[in-house]
Amino acid sequence: MTRAPDADDRTWLARRLLPDGDEPDPRFTLANERTFLAWIRTALALLAGGIAIEAFAVDIFDANVRKLVALLLIGLGMLLSGGAFVRWLGVERAMRHAKPLPLPMIAPLLGIGGAVAAIVVGIVVLTSGP
Amino acid sequence: MTTPRHRGPATARRRRAGRSRRLPTVTTAAHLDRGLQPERATLAWSRTCLALVTISAIFLRWVSHYGAWLLVLPAIALVAAVVITDTQRIRTNRGVHGIHRGSLTADPLPPLMLVGVVLALGVAGACFALVAP
Repeated sequence: MTRAPDADDRTWLARRLLPDGDEPDPRFTLANERTFLAWIRTALALLAGGIAIEAFAVDIFDANVRKLVALLLIGLGMLLSGGAFVRWLGVERAMRHAKPLPLPMIAPLLGIGGAVAAIVVGIVVLTSGP
Repeated sequence: MTTPRHRGPATARRRRAGRSRRLPTVTTAAHLDRGLQPERATLAWSRTCLALVTISAIFLRWVSHYGAWLLVLPAIALVAAVVITDTQRIRTNRGVHGIHRGSLTADPLPPLMLVGVVLALGVAGACFALVAP
């Protein structure tokens, strides 16, 4: 295992989470950070949506359905943010060892989660009301 | 916030951080990196900061439904937004310096803290959604 030339300058956390390999091209590290931030913004949007639907749909949906959809969206946002960090770390580790990048498992998670939320709301809209 | 006249604890922290990592301020690496990666990374942090401010406004909108304790959510988001804004200058400088040196050490702390903020917002939001009328 090769150590980075400036390994001693790194923080304890960086040494702990990214223990070996070589520093990748700085542009790739910055690109990885931007992708992580894009996922975080997606997660924040889901959290805001979850909070909003619980309060917004008071007169439209049954309380249990509202809470279910709100928790689904908030849970999806939390999963995505945790997954975004795992992915950031995985990509950074892969780049340090010049290996292929890992598959983005949070992408299908977002797709399936969004579809489930949309189907639940769609069924409720179709089956409720006069 | 990042003017040289500012004499808050954050500035002192920045100076200490600057000294310990021996990073002289370099304004740009545009001649080495035509893709302007450090600038784009800083803008991505700015967008994230704006997203935090925006969801704070959305949370405020629903205080009447959830009660005053919901103010915990915008408080967490706004503190995170202030911390991001306050550290933008260090971040850009690190990136520009990394491009100049050809080597940039990824720091897991900012992403980890941001995930912590989102998880805290999520746990609090889920509790509010469960107990709301």
